[in-house]
Amino acid sequence: MSEVDTATTDAAAPAPFAMITGDPSAMVCEGDVCFIPPAG
Amino acid sequence: MSEPIKIDIWSDIACPWCYIGKRHLESGIASLGDDAPEVDITYHSFELAPDTPVDFEGSEIDFLAKHKGMPAERVQQMLEHVTGVAATAGLDYDFDALQHTKTLKAHELLHFAKEQGLQLELTERLLRAYFTEGRHVGRVDELVELGAEIGLDADAAREALESGRYAAAVQADIAQAQAYGINGVPFFVIEGKYGISGAQPAEVFAQALTQIAGEREGAVA
Repeated sequence: MSEVDTATTDAAAPAPFAMITGDPSAMVCEGDVCFIPPAG
Repeated sequence: MSEPIKIDIWSDIACPWCYIGKRHLESGIASLGDDAPEVDITYHSFELAPDTPVDFEGSEIDFLAKHKGMPAERVQQMLEHVTGVAATAGLDYDFDALQHTKTLKAHELLHFAKEQGLQLELTERLLRAYFTEGRHVGRVDELVELGAEIGLDADAAREALESGRYAAAVQADIAQAQAYGINGVPFFVIEGKYGISGAQPAEVFAQALTQIAGEREGAVA
């Protein structure tokens, strides 16, 4: 687990649900990296 | 009496923000007091790092610094940050004691526990064991012991793990996440209609549940 400030992953595919944005600085983890997801 | 609001959560035992997000969700629900809607929570498997060895020798800093090539000083800073945030959520993370491991078997046991009606109890037990107690959640013997603590039959749990009977269920959860476009965890899906990404503050969960409960009432009015 580690953290970086920005994500470099591709944008997510369309999901069958509406996203509730909430706090845009909420942390998520992908692989060994945890980060604040990019806006949009 | 309306049906409980369904909350599906994609999460990994080795995900520090998943445990924090779990606490925030619980706090958000609790903050609603008597107005809190009934919820039906199901956890789904998400393996953050499938290439992690079961028996990695070394600390979390060793893993990230040596195995992944990250600067040790930066790793230390990041672990201190997440430890601080966890503390505000009432969680006493201990990265010095943490035993980095592959979580596939833990997920298999969570599926077994789900069948036994004990998935929520085991999720909490495994997260606590991993992040605060330095327990090894990648080995069958330790998983069986932890499962027994929350009421799973030890022999049945061992058979479930050694047979690999739930491996397909784990992969199905991961495939479902991919189909949804879920790349990171924690990820919350409420009523199959709303997605919430990340360890959001408690108030975000409270507001979302209040909104969804209100929509339900409006629909039946």
